[in-house]
Amino acid sequence: MTNHLPIIAIQVLFLGAFISGLVGYKSNSLRKFVIFLATGTSLVLTLMLFKPVMMEGQIISYWMGNWVPVSDWAIGIGLEVDQLSLFFGLIVTVTVFLGAIYSFKYMSKDNGQDKYYVVFMMLAGSVLGFVFTGDLFNMYVMIEIMTFAAVGLTAFRNHKAESIEAAFKYLVVGSIGSSLILLGTVVMYAQFKTLNLAQITALLNNAQHTPVILFAFALMIGGYAVKAFIVPCHVVAPDAYAAAPSSVSMLFSGIVNKAGIYGMIRLVFVVFASMNLPSMQFLLVFLGTITMFIGVTMALAQSDFKRLLAFHSISQIGYVLTAIGLSTILGLTGGLYHALNHTLFKGLLFLCAGAVLYSTGTTDLNKLGGLAKKMPQTAGLFLVGAFAISGIPPFNGFVSKWLVYQGTFAKSMETNNPGYVFVTIVALIVSVMTLASFIKVTQSVFFGQLPKEFENAEEVPLSMRIPMWILAALCLVAGILPTAVIDYLIKPAVLAIKSAGNYVAVMMGQEYATKIYTEGIAIPKYDYAMAGWNPTSWLILFGVLLIAFALVALTGGFNPRHIVGAENNNAKFDVFFSGEAAEHSHVAGNDLFWGLKHNLKGYFHFMHDVHNGVVNDYALMVVSTTALVMLYLFLLVK
Amino acid sequence: MLLENYLCSIVLIVLGLYAIITKKNAFKIVIGMGLVDYGINLMLVSAGFRVNGTAPIFDAPTQTQYFFVDPVPQALTLTSIVIGACVTALALSLVVKIKEHYGTLDTDKVRRLNG
Repeated sequence: MTNHLPIIAIQVLFLGAFISGLVGYKSNSLRKFVIFLATGTSLVLTLMLFKPVMMEGQIISYWMGNWVPVSDWAIGIGLEVDQLSLFFGLIVTVTVFLGAIYSFKYMSKDNGQDKYYVVFMMLAGSVLGFVFTGDLFNMYVMIEIMTFAAVGLTAFRNHKAESIEAAFKYLVVGSIGSSLILLGTVVMYAQFKTLNLAQITALLNNAQHTPVILFAFALMIGGYAVKAFIVPCHVVAPDAYAAAPSSVSMLFSGIVNKAGIYGMIRLVFVVFASMNLPSMQFLLVFLGTITMFIGVTMALAQSDFKRLLAFHSISQIGYVLTAIGLSTILGLTGGLYHALNHTLFKGLLFLCAGAVLYSTGTTDLNKLGGLAKKMPQTAGLFLVGAFAISGIPPFNGFVSKWLVYQGTFAKSMETNNPGYVFVTIVALIVSVMTLASFIKVTQSVFFGQLPKEFENAEEVPLSMRIPMWILAALCLVAGILPTAVIDYLIKPAVLAIKSAGNYVAVMMGQEYATKIYTEGIAIPKYDYAMAGWNPTSWLILFGVLLIAFALVALTGGFNPRHIVGAENNNAKFDVFFSGEAAEHSHVAGNDLFWGLKHNLKGYFHFMHDVHNGVVNDYALMVVSTTALVMLYLFLLVK
Repeated sequence: MLLENYLCSIVLIVLGLYAIITKKNAFKIVIGMGLVDYGINLMLVSAGFRVNGTAPIFDAPTQTQYFFVDPVPQALTLTSIVIGACVTALALSLVVKIKEHYGTLDTDKVRRLNG
């Protein structure tokens, strides 16, 4: 019975797409019911896999049409759900379920909703299929469906020119990425005459890394870098995130770039088993470090709410990539933990941005302001998300970022390489800049003065707030119970990454695996120590600070003095303006951190010129990145 | 014979990438994407080719000697062709919409989203 759960979980989502397309145009509530049922069933089925896979350590394999391997040769298409797949599978189904609930109300103002849900469910099903599959070509097909659905959803509000432009750019760059993956797949097939991931893993284990294999490897790294939006292949991501409806932006940052990360992990760790090479570790850590740095500095310069969040999304993926590039137990733990956390807090932040857009009709940081009075719950939830992404205890971002810092530092101790300390420092600086840009967003959207045109803004409906509350609660839970999360979710996944032999043994049979892995299948020891992290005491500290803040606020400690007569000259341009409540002198998004932006204007102008919006240049960046990765692999990886 | 196939496919892929990177007309970019697809399809179907191989069909139950071309890449190529056609269709429909919104297909002018 357990064997059939993964395929049913995937099929339910695709069936939901088709059924909602068939019956959805008749009635709104019927369509919502179908979508709710499909996403909910998929979530339940994936959760049912939790006990056998995560707790009992089984790996579930399923051969489509029962085409089992004949004389040690895999012919059919197989699904293989190990702990790593299930970890990402859970992320996917939870995100999709919450995104669907949010969509019900959020999309109610748009027309063409029947089409929206069809594409939405296709996106969901394809990513779930991608993480559960055990077949190289199937991975390509699923990621192509994913790109296709993502492009369709980006272009959904096609009365806006920006949506169409973003969708076209995403399609061009995304299909170059898919083509690279397909080309890599073809070359691998020509070499090994099989598409089964487990069998390729086994064959590669004993094979020399010939130039042809390195060629295929480089192509696939390039392709998945495009899918995960790793710098410098990230340029279409902010366009697409900002142009898509917010419920879709949540899926983009929650599952679409996670699919790229999953593909990367599966290839470099399991299939090619290349991460014991220092040069490969350097490649991933280098890419990750520039990704987090460029992502966050670009975010500082943005003036659109969702575009800013999109750049943060890129930056956080940099953390994940850096951590998994370390290839130590601590690093992998931090990387996967951060991938989980990123889905939670970035989903929450995008939903908050959607709530602001729903109530006010704009996401321009220079026009918004003072919404905390009108939308107190959204403001509070946004603060939770902002604290989490900035790594403030006791929220989840702190735990995973701490693991990343500790992992990079420990790596430098281990290898005597001061370069990894530099990575730690960059990670800390990036975290500070993340906090800075979220101060900017919080100030310019939720605090300060309320512009006159938004005086009728209202809190969003309950069905939109429920997913936000759930995500916020998960953020807190993952922050105060890190050991439980690591024991039940992260640790099995990390062990699965580290033991490719088991992956082969389950899919191809134990005898086959013992023939390949003659020295036995090594299970690495899992030990880590989180230095100086005691969640309970941080929670108490947070509570005490909250109570102190509330007491001061109740006794009137924060009441500003009222100054009359500032109508003519706008007080926000005075030298000292803080603490004064001048009429309509809201400190908007662009007014903050202008000193930093002015002093580093050379860098910011250069980065602005790089993101010039010309699709040809974006394509060139992708192709040249792949070419450089290829050159690097040929020169440095033996 | 196989060498020419591989060379042709590489040439097609490179030409396609060249078109995507240098051509400023959105329509030509779509053509470039098509070329990349065709090149990969050619390489894919060549990967399964065997000289003097027959079509992969069992013609008689008594047949004992088989020398087939590999049927798997042919199935993959069909899938890939279908996906390629869909990509082209979606891209062209977006090009139509770009023309409606921007009044031009010049990619240097379709850059409202930047920075």
